[in-house]
Amino acid sequence: MSVLQLSHVTKRYGAFIAVDDISFSVEKGKILSLLGPSGCGKTTTLRMISGFEVANEGAVMFSGIDMKGRRPYERNVGLLFQDYALFPHMTVVENIAYGLKHRKFDKAKIPDRVAEMVSLVKLKGFEHRRPGRLSGGQQQRVALARALATYPEVVLLDEPLSALDAKLRQELRFELKEILAAVNATTIVVTHDQEEAMSLGDSVIVMSGGKIMQQGAPTEIYADPKTRFVAEFIGRSNWFSGQLAPGTGGLAKFKATSGINMIVPVSGGHLTGGQYDVCVRPERIQIDAATVASAGTPVNEIRGAIRDIAHLGADLHLVVEIAGGQLLTVTEKYTGQTLEQTGQEVSISFRPRDCIVVPSGS
Amino acid sequence: MKRFIDHAAAWLSVANLVIVLIFLVFPIIVAITMSFDGREYLGRFPPPVYSLRWYERFISDTYYLTGLATSLKLATIATIVSTAAGVCTAIGLDRYEGPGKQALETLFLSSLVVPAVVIGFALLLSFAMVGVFDGFTRLLAGHIIITFPYTVRTTLAGLVGIRKTLTEAAMSLGATERRAFWDITFPLARTGMVAGAVFAFAFSMDDVAVSLFLTSPDSYTLPVAMVSMMRTNFDLTIAAASVVLMVFTFALILFLDWAVGLDRLIGKGVFSSQGEPS
Repeated sequence: MSVLQLSHVTKRYGAFIAVDDISFSVEKGKILSLLGPSGCGKTTTLRMISGFEVANEGAVMFSGIDMKGRRPYERNVGLLFQDYALFPHMTVVENIAYGLKHRKFDKAKIPDRVAEMVSLVKLKGFEHRRPGRLSGGQQQRVALARALATYPEVVLLDEPLSALDAKLRQELRFELKEILAAVNATTIVVTHDQEEAMSLGDSVIVMSGGKIMQQGAPTEIYADPKTRFVAEFIGRSNWFSGQLAPGTGGLAKFKATSGINMIVPVSGGHLTGGQYDVCVRPERIQIDAATVASAGTPVNEIRGAIRDIAHLGADLHLVVEIAGGQLLTVTEKYTGQTLEQTGQEVSISFRPRDCIVVPSGS
Repeated sequence: MKRFIDHAAAWLSVANLVIVLIFLVFPIIVAITMSFDGREYLGRFPPPVYSLRWYERFISDTYYLTGLATSLKLATIATIVSTAAGVCTAIGLDRYEGPGKQALETLFLSSLVVPAVVIGFALLLSFAMVGVFDGFTRLLAGHIIITFPYTVRTTLAGLVGIRKTLTEAAMSLGATERRAFWDITFPLARTGMVAGAVFAFAFSMDDVAVSLFLTSPDSYTLPVAMVSMMRTNFDLTIAAASVVLMVFTFALILFLDWAVGLDRLIGKGVFSSQGEPS
């Protein structure tokens, strides 16, 4: 049985529908990311799970039990707030013990549990400090320890890494995953940051306008987005709009409005052709055509000129202008090769299977 | 030239500070010094001889002493009532998110901008209409009205710094809303509440304008007694009375600060929560 299940949950504020008939479930010990731009309903969803908002329709269930009418303190949820919300007048130990006291733990066992949490989040030696005297990363670990101390059924993380700087973020992401795995926590991560969502989540739900756009494993969402919104929201993308011809043998001809012809993969409903958008990820485009072409496989090839090269250490970001003045982004790994020159004429290419076909305007 | 202007500005601001200090402190020093004047009559500053004669006269004058007793009693009760009411009002205002929040806030703070004389006169008329003639009751009502906005203000200021997520965090950890208030909101807002009480006490002790209207022959405050003495027989007992008034106000502020002072240390840690040792 799922530890957490939402079925047909809707939340309205007057005429505005914040969350529109969403359903999903999370299994024990799994991490699910709710990803979307601000105002997509992800935070409202989190607040309905924690009990701070009440759904107009549908049910939130913990291990099969409907949480209807239960206040936040009557649900066993561990919440990690974006601003950590540590109690500034209490020490690390007092913060962690707070939940244990109010969740009616055996008083004699509280110190042991607190010590256990302190060592889990590696804060030995900081027990009697107030939050004001801890670094951002340490504060986050206190908040996490406080949220996990009461053995919550569901752990909710609200933008857990967004308040930290880039380097610390990477370090803590790994730590966070390890800690969550150590306690086998069933977790929901709410975030607008695709990197955070994909790196933490076993599966990702992309939300927009209160609706679930797509759900799947991070790789699946990235490689096989079903709509233009999802493809654009996750990762960088180059777009062609145009007419898809009826397909045979899994491939079909696509003629972009700019006049460029290419071969793209087709399946299911796309087979009959029509108006479609095609997305090509920057890292799937090759500047040197020879490396892609091999006997028998068709390759899409476009002539263009390099407009800009940005060297970002490990990566090169190139901007290539093609027919009709369209600019494409291309990324390459920098491995010491001779760099192309700005203004140089090049031939860029990508395989049909690197094209993502989505319905136009989706 | 630019640098000269900067230097001049720096020098001017120091000069400004010195001048303000002189204006604020000098009259008080004069009043305190004169209260120890040893001469029989009102002479030039500084006095050639010093004595406690004016203080002796003050403590043997029942008119002043009654005023002092009324003032202290009044200030104490008014502070307690207006702090309690102000704290409740501020908490309500802080939580209320509906329409008219701004208007409500302005309404509760309005007696700050209404001249005290107007409040005093309006109260006198109203009390006469409803038939309240007891001096102390009238004074108490007036003092609660003039001190109330200060307690609302400072408590609100204290509450604004407390993020809503703190209460939500406590609730997600199993605390009811009531528990969360006593564990989190109250200790963090305490500094603001105490500041409000201190202001309330000081303003109540100090008030003349409102009290003047509401006084009765047997219920008058020390400042009112001083004003009426100034008109009838002006001598340096008034200087001694001023010093006494100052000392009492100061002592009670210090006491309040000390009584809640241990917790204020914590309060300080709260409002400078980023990194600094407390």
